[in-house]
Amino acid sequence: MTVPRFATTSVRRATPRTLMILLLTALMAVSLVSLLIGAGSVGPGRALALLSGAQDSEARFIVWELRAPRTLIGIAVGMALGVAGALLQAVARNPLAEPGLLGVSAGAAFAVALALVLGASAATLRIPVAQLGALVGCVCVLSVARFRGVGNDPIRLVLAGAAFSGLLASLTSLILLYDQRAADEIRFWVIGSLAGRRLDDLFAVLPSMLIASVVVALIARPLAALALGERVASGLGHHPKLIRWLVVACVALLVGAATAIAGPIAFVGLVVPFVARAFAGPDIRRTLWFCLPIGPLMVLAADIISRVVVAPSELPLGVLTALCGAPVLIAVVRARRLPML
Amino acid sequence: MRVKTTLFKTRSMSAIFIKSGCLGMLCMLLSALVAGTAQARTLETAFGDVDIEGTPERVVTLYEGALDAAVAAGVTPLGAVTTRGGDNVAGYIEAHLGENLLAIMGVVREINIEAVLAQQPDLILAPAQLSDEQYQLLSRIAPTVVPLTQPLASDNWKDEARLYGEALNRQAAIAEAIEAVEDRAAEVAEALEKADVGGSTFLVRWMPGGPMVMSENLFAAGLLAQVGLDVQDGGLIGERGVHSDVLSLENLSQVDGDWLFLATLNEDGQAAVDAAKQSSAFTRLNVVQQDHVVPVDGQLWTSANGPLAAQAILDDIEAALLP
Repeated sequence: MTVPRFATTSVRRATPRTLMILLLTALMAVSLVSLLIGAGSVGPGRALALLSGAQDSEARFIVWELRAPRTLIGIAVGMALGVAGALLQAVARNPLAEPGLLGVSAGAAFAVALALVLGASAATLRIPVAQLGALVGCVCVLSVARFRGVGNDPIRLVLAGAAFSGLLASLTSLILLYDQRAADEIRFWVIGSLAGRRLDDLFAVLPSMLIASVVVALIARPLAALALGERVASGLGHHPKLIRWLVVACVALLVGAATAIAGPIAFVGLVVPFVARAFAGPDIRRTLWFCLPIGPLMVLAADIISRVVVAPSELPLGVLTALCGAPVLIAVVRARRLPML
Repeated sequence: MRVKTTLFKTRSMSAIFIKSGCLGMLCMLLSALVAGTAQARTLETAFGDVDIEGTPERVVTLYEGALDAAVAAGVTPLGAVTTRGGDNVAGYIEAHLGENLLAIMGVVREINIEAVLAQQPDLILAPAQLSDEQYQLLSRIAPTVVPLTQPLASDNWKDEARLYGEALNRQAAIAEAIEAVEDRAAEVAEALEKADVGGSTFLVRWMPGGPMVMSENLFAAGLLAQVGLDVQDGGLIGERGVHSDVLSLENLSQVDGDWLFLATLNEDGQAAVDAAKQSSAFTRLNVVQQDHVVPVDGQLWTSANGPLAAQAILDDIEAALLP
């Protein structure tokens, strides 16, 4: 994770177009690897033989029914979390604002856990409930950010978010104590994972992801203007308050959707925009574009590692993203000058 | 108690009549001998020898196996710990308790010492894995019987039940209950053989991410083996583990035997099977397509043990496997 400093000096000289092509190639390579490698007995050799036309029903099932869906879901989750992180950082004007760190994912997970205990069947209600929870989490965190003093200090916002996450985590534990039988089902909502998710889940969240991306496309230009300051943005004919609320809604839609299919996955929303900014420079529009390939890259890479380290079992994806993400957080905080957005 | 009073009396007597001191000693020895054959016994426990006299009446069980053994021996404890994942004792034992409601002493890993104290027990039956600190506290309340820790084996329950039975002074009742289990198992085994039912068997718990394979050394797995099924755990479990980690869906074929017992802590076992069937990795297994998946109550199958649990499990096996 030492890419950014290196990136800012030499890589930025390459044109964004070349960089984008490189990233997309890398994404395709990682997606292919994701089809080839798993915790089971079907290794790269058998999987490649299958892709080149061999008849192997076991391999066909594992590659197309298990690995292909989780690869697609990983791509969707990576895009959603990366973009949500970039949006939240832009609107909070804080490079540490991350859906996982600030309790937005925790809000979504808590809402789902609560719904499960109250008797909702997991499959039907999950997505709207997760999105509602994410929205509440988002609003709580950003209203904390508006307290005098806190908003100007990125680290204090993270502290407020950590306190909020801690509160939600303890409430989720309370639910576990209240209904221990639900514990196994809820444990999934404490640390996210891509294992065993079905394409149906992805299709169920696609509409809200599409809505969010349309809204993001519409507000990207005003959002860039907002980076110049509220007065400048108003002067250019934008409505800062409206934009902010639209961004919050988008973040809630995206994080809620990602959490509903994969559970809370921490730090993707921090690392991805961080790397994207190193490639793209300060312009939020370009950063958002770069988040699209970088998010899936990170999620898929972490997912592939999660499959092989403890085979024949799997590590939860959330554990690995936290392992990659925590050093980045420390690096950002320790940087001599905390970048302001 | 009788021994102590005798001792006290003889001492005061011997202080006055030195000559009759010898007689007093003899008296004491005799009474101790009589009490020894009838009442007092020394139990070999994990925390050394424990002396117990008479037939305890206020009994607290801090382990599901102890509760089972006590009820099988005809003793209704005052208090017990909850079943794993539940907020009361296991359903199968409630049926034996009838109207009697037991006070809850917490969960087996987190015993509520104050609740134990409130019952003023004269005997505490504790699990083999009781910690030293807890033993120190509990043994001040009442004699505390902790079975010797043994490596996980499917017939540990018999030794444990015998120890608890001895503590309760109901050795014969426990021996009878264990024998009844052996007889019943032999009966079921014979019936299964006649019906030509058998083959490789896995006992798993279904988690949202996939199955956890339960050890072939588990209590219930031992009973499955005893009735003639070939219980396996695929070598997925370490030396001391009770179950494997959640298996990757890519490795489900490793639990594809002739029979699959699917344990769940939820009341509705069928719901767990339905949840599992949402995964195409599960439905393509041979054992599922042959409809040889048996949903079982995880409270009974993966949490409880003892003679009554054994009978209930054998009933389940019979109901599921015999036409």
